[in-house]
Amino acid sequence: MGKQVDILQGTLDMLILKAVSLGPLHGYGILLRIQQVSRDALQVPQGSLYPALYRLEHRGWIAAEWGESENKRKAKYYSLTGAGRKQLKSERQEWKRLAAAIGDVLAAEPEEA
Amino acid sequence: MLAQARSWWRAVTGQSRLAGEMASEMDGHMERYAADLVAGGVDPGEARRRARIEFGSTAAAAEECREAVGLRWPDELARDLRYATRVLRKSPTFTAAAVATLALCIGANTAIFSVVDAVLLRPLPYPQHERLAAVSRFWKEKGASGDNTPQTGSTWEAVRDGATYLDSAAFSDGSKGVNFTAGGSVEYVQQQRVSAGFFRVLGIAPLIGREFSADEDRKGGPAVTLLSYALWKRIFHEDPTIVGQAVTLRGEPYTVLGVLPASFRSTAPADLWTPLRPIANGEGGGSNYHIVSRLRPGATWAQADAQIEAVGAPVLPKSLDKVRLRLISFQRGLTSDVRKPLLMLWAAVGLVLLIGCVNIAGLLLARAAGRTREMATRMALGSGRAALIRQMLAESVLVGLCGGAAGAALGWLGVKGLKVLAQDSLNVWQTVDLNWRVLAAAGGASIAAAILFGLYPAMVASRIEIRAALGEAGRGVAGARNPWPRRLLVASEVALSVVLLVGAGLLIRTFAHLQGLNPGFDAHGVISASLSLQDARYATSQSVNRLFDQSLSRIRELPGVESAAVTLSLPYESTLNTGLRRLDGVHADAAKEYQITNFLYVTPEYFRVLRIPLLRGRVLTSADAGATAPVVMVSEAFVKMYLRDDQPLGRHLDLGFGDRREIVGVAGDVQQKSGWGEEYGPVAPVPAVYVPAAQTDDKFLQLVHGWFSPSWIVRTAGPPEGVIAGMQRALEAVDPRLPFAGFHSMEDVRYRALAQERFQAALLGALAGLAMLLAAVGIYGLIASSVAERTRELGIRLALGATVPQAMRAVALPGVVLALAGVAAGSVLAGFASRILGHVVWGVRPGDPLTFVAVGVGLLAVAAAASFLPALRVTRLNPAETLRQE
Repeated sequence: MGKQVDILQGTLDMLILKAVSLGPLHGYGILLRIQQVSRDALQVPQGSLYPALYRLEHRGWIAAEWGESENKRKAKYYSLTGAGRKQLKSERQEWKRLAAAIGDVLAAEPEEA
Repeated sequence: MLAQARSWWRAVTGQSRLAGEMASEMDGHMERYAADLVAGGVDPGEARRRARIEFGSTAAAAEECREAVGLRWPDELARDLRYATRVLRKSPTFTAAAVATLALCIGANTAIFSVVDAVLLRPLPYPQHERLAAVSRFWKEKGASGDNTPQTGSTWEAVRDGATYLDSAAFSDGSKGVNFTAGGSVEYVQQQRVSAGFFRVLGIAPLIGREFSADEDRKGGPAVTLLSYALWKRIFHEDPTIVGQAVTLRGEPYTVLGVLPASFRSTAPADLWTPLRPIANGEGGGSNYHIVSRLRPGATWAQADAQIEAVGAPVLPKSLDKVRLRLISFQRGLTSDVRKPLLMLWAAVGLVLLIGCVNIAGLLLARAAGRTREMATRMALGSGRAALIRQMLAESVLVGLCGGAAGAALGWLGVKGLKVLAQDSLNVWQTVDLNWRVLAAAGGASIAAAILFGLYPAMVASRIEIRAALGEAGRGVAGARNPWPRRLLVASEVALSVVLLVGAGLLIRTFAHLQGLNPGFDAHGVISASLSLQDARYATSQSVNRLFDQSLSRIRELPGVESAAVTLSLPYESTLNTGLRRLDGVHADAAKEYQITNFLYVTPEYFRVLRIPLLRGRVLTSADAGATAPVVMVSEAFVKMYLRDDQPLGRHLDLGFGDRREIVGVAGDVQQKSGWGEEYGPVAPVPAVYVPAAQTDDKFLQLVHGWFSPSWIVRTAGPPEGVIAGMQRALEAVDPRLPFAGFHSMEDVRYRALAQERFQAALLGALAGLAMLLAAVGIYGLIASSVAERTRELGIRLALGATVPQAMRAVALPGVVLALAGVAAGSVLAGFASRILGHVVWGVRPGDPLTFVAVGVGLLAVAAAASFLPALRVTRLNPAETLRQE
């Protein structure tokens, strides 16, 4: 297991959108998926997962529905909405631009004096 | 945006569902995590513990979730209201006083507003009512101006033909009682006369049938009528074949053209409508028509207004060049006579609410003094000033809501009473009820009031030095708090009460003046009954006078009857006004010059029945009939106005009959409603002429009987009951198809004549009384709490040798001084305010010194009592005990 990284709020929203874009998930499932895909590099603080989910649902980017989970328990499943898909796309582009810009800055060679 | 609003609304409305879902979602999360840990080999108990710890506080997460869906301020509001409920419950006396004060004020406002709303604010029940207008004669003179909606026949013709931007119709003012015969029964129903197109202009189509055509609305056109739904239902049981059938109206057959819908309300209460048949001369020579216009599609008000002014210019009297035609909103045109009294009442009741708010603000300020420690503690614990103000406002709003609810209940009772009063005295015939508009206004007023009375005390209370307040421990020798905000409130309360009391005083003095006027006749033992002679069988002077003679001679034979007569109109009622020329004497008028006077025809015994004194000459006799020389009696006021410094007897008048009438007698003045002139009060000894009924002609009688129902008056020696039945039998014997419209004693007639003045004086008096009570309570509260605050200081004073009266004076004096200041400021305010009462005040000037002095002295006396009453507590103070108390 590599070193764990804390997640910024805006980033958490994007990760949640990405996680549910692959299919409906309940809250714990989202947590697991993010950890799995990042190979446990990203650690979502459990307490802030739910406020983020409620905020995204409030904005209409994800929709929630009650269903039965794998162990026959009731669970709330979140899935991406049309508006959420658009949001994810624009956030991903934004992220790429930001990452590229930061990469450029870091890749710059020190100028010869 | 929409998704967010929907989500927020779901969250607000489904509070418990939301909480349950959150809990079950988070529990599920922890259980799944624990299960995964167990699968990894952790002990189940330890797994649950770790799951809970790693998740953190579920309460905090839930709180954040609620914030995320926009529940922050509803949550805070709920918390504030819960706390406010607890606080208010702990001080029941304050809460009861504040809620009761507000309930009284909101109740009064609700009741008055329901009438204001019904008459002035609620849109007229016609489609596109905002495109309706009344044609008005706008006059301007000596700084005053006004609108007159009655128009002459020539004005109507000019508007009809010239004002092309408007679709116009004419109608008669109000409705008149007429005799209606159907199926053998005789009924007295209300008839309104309207021109062709009246219903089209209003935007109302008949339920069945059609409205009057231009051909039917012409002199000599066929006799046709439209029925109201209520009459159709009551008499014809909704028979749809009624259209085309004949009914008997005014003794003539009329063909029914149609029925109006049940929901239709005309401009006056009416059972049926007949064509107006407007003409430029005769009836149309006077201002007897009203005009309603609808703006045609595509036209603008500016165009229509300019056009109507141009159209009016040639037909309006040349000498009065300050008069022009203009358009006013139809609603305004219909309510011109009740508008001012209603607005005055509305202002008065608003003032009472303001006083109530000031009073509650005073109570809140007093409470704030006692809550310094609570506030300081909360601030020390980290509460911001804004949060404190919000908390105290929540308390005010809660008081406001409770007071508002209680006030709406009181208002509901008030509306019931006011409805009857308003219908009697303001001629309000719209439905007055407590609808959602009125309730919304009451609710809005309550909340606005709560913020008004709550904000300032909350700001004062939250402006505190934490350390000083906590250290002081509420001791202090002479009350550390600044007493001036509360004192100013009390003084302004007194000032506002002065305004109301002066207004009420002037109206009461007006009413007393009118009530005290010498009626000019002896009302005791006289009963009257009117009936409609707008009847084809009474189209001639001969038939009318035969009816008078035969019925009167039978009535005179009744036991208990002393004398009997017929008159065109009764004292205290309005009567016909007519033009006249003085043909000879000092003041003889030029050929085209006309004067104006009240006109009554009477049978000779009129003066005997009413015991009106004869001042000069002789009374009319039965010998003054058609064949003999035309004669007339005039009133003393007539002589004063038109024959001053002249010898009235033997002079001749032209009253428009085309003959010379000799004045044979002068009668004492009688109170009458004047049909003209702004200089006469609601009742006044107006100049009048009395013409023998036997000397009137057919045309004239037909005309006036369309406007006035003559009255039979009888002087009785004993109780009137037997006489009433006897009069009915006597009339029936002469004409079985002619019903009396109702019997009234002359005292009743007089009572009704002053109904509006009585209503205004009584209502404003009650409101002013309420205002004074509130002011007295305010002063009492101020002094009482100052005694409580200064107990220690007073104890020291007494211990140092001050006498009890000295100590009492020291406490009570501020109350009297404040009242004095309030009375002074209020008198100045009232001086301005009373000017707007100029048009409803009679027999007393708006600046009447007696009223002002009486109000000032009375209010000061009440203030002194309210100040010294709580100061009496000083007499029960024991200096030793007070000083020991800590």
